[in-house]
Amino acid sequence: MHKPVHIAPLAFFRIAFGAVLLVSSIRFIAHGWIKDFYITPRFHFPFYGFEWVSVLPPAGMYALYGSMALAALMICAGLYYRMATILFLCCFAYTEMIDKTYYLNHYYLVTVMVLLMSLVPANRYFSADVLRKPSLKRTHVPAWTINIFKWQLAIIYIYAAISKMNTDWLINAMPLKIWLPANQFIPVIGKWLALPATAVVFCWCGMLFDLSIVFLLLNRVTRPVGYFFAIVFHLLTAVLFQIGMFPYIMLAATSIFFSDRVHLRILGAISTIIPSWRKIDIQENYVAPVMCKKAGLIFLLVYFVFQLFIPIRFLLYPGKLLWTEEGYRFSWRVMLMEKGGTTFFHVIEPATGRRIEVNNRDFLTGYQERMMETQPDMMLQYAKILKTEYEKMGIQHAAVQAESYVTLNGSGSRLFIDSTVNLAAQKETLFGHKKWILPYQP
Amino acid sequence: MKQKKTLAAFLSAAAVIIVLISCSKSNSGSSVTPPANTGDSALVNIGTNIIIPSFQTFSSAMTALDASVTAFTTTPDATTLTAAQAAFKTAYLAWETCSAYGFGPAADQSLITATINIFPTDSVLIKSNISSGSYTIDGIANLKAQGFPGIDFLLFGADNTTTLNRYTTDAAEANAKKYLSAITASIKTKTAAAAAAWASSGGNYIKQFTAATGVSSGSSLSLLMNAFVQDYDVVMKSYKLGIPIGKYGTTVLPLAPSKTEGYFSGMSVQLMIQQVKALQNTYLGGAGYGFDDKVIAAKATKNGVSLNDVINAEFATLIAKLMALPDPLSAQITNNLTTVNDVYTEATKLVVLLKVDLSSALAIKISFQDDDGD
Repeated sequence: MHKPVHIAPLAFFRIAFGAVLLVSSIRFIAHGWIKDFYITPRFHFPFYGFEWVSVLPPAGMYALYGSMALAALMICAGLYYRMATILFLCCFAYTEMIDKTYYLNHYYLVTVMVLLMSLVPANRYFSADVLRKPSLKRTHVPAWTINIFKWQLAIIYIYAAISKMNTDWLINAMPLKIWLPANQFIPVIGKWLALPATAVVFCWCGMLFDLSIVFLLLNRVTRPVGYFFAIVFHLLTAVLFQIGMFPYIMLAATSIFFSDRVHLRILGAISTIIPSWRKIDIQENYVAPVMCKKAGLIFLLVYFVFQLFIPIRFLLYPGKLLWTEEGYRFSWRVMLMEKGGTTFFHVIEPATGRRIEVNNRDFLTGYQERMMETQPDMMLQYAKILKTEYEKMGIQHAAVQAESYVTLNGSGSRLFIDSTVNLAAQKETLFGHKKWILPYQP
Repeated sequence: MKQKKTLAAFLSAAAVIIVLISCSKSNSGSSVTPPANTGDSALVNIGTNIIIPSFQTFSSAMTALDASVTAFTTTPDATTLTAAQAAFKTAYLAWETCSAYGFGPAADQSLITATINIFPTDSVLIKSNISSGSYTIDGIANLKAQGFPGIDFLLFGADNTTTLNRYTTDAAEANAKKYLSAITASIKTKTAAAAAAWASSGGNYIKQFTAATGVSSGSSLSLLMNAFVQDYDVVMKSYKLGIPIGKYGTTVLPLAPSKTEGYFSGMSVQLMIQQVKALQNTYLGGAGYGFDDKVIAAKATKNGVSLNDVINAEFATLIAKLMALPDPLSAQITNNLTTVNDVYTEATKLVVLLKVDLSSALAIKISFQDDDGD
């Protein structure tokens, strides 16, 4: 674990991942999502325990994303690296915590990767920091500084594989059986996508890919094949599904598995455009201060135990995970469900018996409404928003009921939650089960 | 050794994949052949045979209405008034067949519910516009004083004698004529422009429409389905029924019969039937390839029954219930609320089917943004 290994993989990983973060931040700004996601909505859905995180005024939100883009550029260049990683992490995590509507697995992935990046000296080689201050240069780092990324990726892929080992995915080929035919008009491969067999094959290949990719990448012999599979797999998902930056983030991240020789060659190629770069390396080992070493080890131990536990916490809940979504997030479950819903909320004034139907668009954006309509914890938050808002409008002691219809993986719409329960009176807990979610009837 | 083991594991995994591929292929039978990759028949058919003709019919109806209004304002008498009123009803009904296509050319021309069909109309603003003679007919501030609801008020806002007086003996008769003509001319221009933009002989939006296949954000199916669901859920269910029967209000009186569509001409139910039938026609693709064929191809079910059958039955039930409801809707709301509430409940069922079951079966997201499917 402390064996000195060459720093090249870490340096290249920093450059690649930093570049993807930069593109990702700029893309977010360019799409006008700051306005759509953080300025237009009247209400937000913060994560449990993070209700204190509130949206900043427009200028603040733009500043946050501007800082993020700048920090990503600094990470890529390796300029004031440690500070840049911490800045990026803080800005990114803050925006993520404002509203769970926008939760995506790959945003969570970015958060954990940048957290790990802030712990390692990825700026000690081939970086602006070394140009700035040559004494910072190191050629070798303890093996754990590279391995933690491999462990993290192993957890991601293997949990992704495990989440696909079920009848819905492997036997019914859901949701690909719905999603693939929707792409049947794309050139060349399109005509095969409508065939039922294709979905089955894709489902099995997807699961086996997730299960085996880390092992293929760890092994020197199978590594080229493994990375080839990774490229094919991730690019195919980029073509077929609208999943944004996810494929590129994964391709940048998995580059860490390549050997120092390969990374040195790539860095060598890059360095030809920077003539002043000193090419001859004399081995200089990075040694972490003893205090940091101990604290870091304890932190990493706790961190990875958490990483192993979080994705399986769903076992603590009764019912079908995809239906209830209790313990669903932060678990590397990607592309597992075609789920849609619609919810008619009613505000009731107990004293008069008045029953008012809520027009959700008066309170939420279309995107927030869509995400809320399949996720019970968001419905609960929304019910509390409604209670407050209708009481402001003069309704006394407003009760809130929801008639919610949801379809999951082609099940057809059915009642999702108990429509007689006053949601405004229900309490959210950290790990508690929501008894008002109706059990899934197969 | 270790490497060899991993390699062996990988090779056996590959073997499993190959076996699976061959198995599933033989299982699916040789009768399955990939469909010809010539584009989405639903887009071609709905675009060519439904949307384009709908805009053309609407455009002709607007030309006729504009001509009738010109005849009326030139020679205002009982005959020309009745003719203009009849032309208005035809044009309003023609609009209902286009209201679900509020994207592309219609959006470019602001030929959408939020601009030309805002009801209830602001009759006070209309009257003050007429007496002052200063207004911008299509201005943002004037949205509630124009469009079909504006004409509805101007042609049907009183009994025919009183109406006629407004265009003959009234002090502001010249301004009234001008105002009425301004509204019809504006809709006529927009409609002609939208019809031309769709047509292959004009702006050829149909080409772009049929080319943007798939279901991602910006694809034609996503645009169409989102507009379709919105037209039904928001315009039909909420605006036309929910608001007039007081489903949402907290401060207003529970019932608001004057908030019905086509309140003055008393044709609310007729307009709803026309709109729902148009939506049904889009769903069916008329006699050709429509959403229904996609639902059948997807083998989508609900409670073990074919989803297509369920949707068709619900359309039929809703239309039957609407047809059993006599116009004017405002009187029904006052005197026969139970029946109207019953229609509303029925209308809600179709929201679930269209917004949840249909869109999910076709993998189309309502309110689209980028995501990673989780």
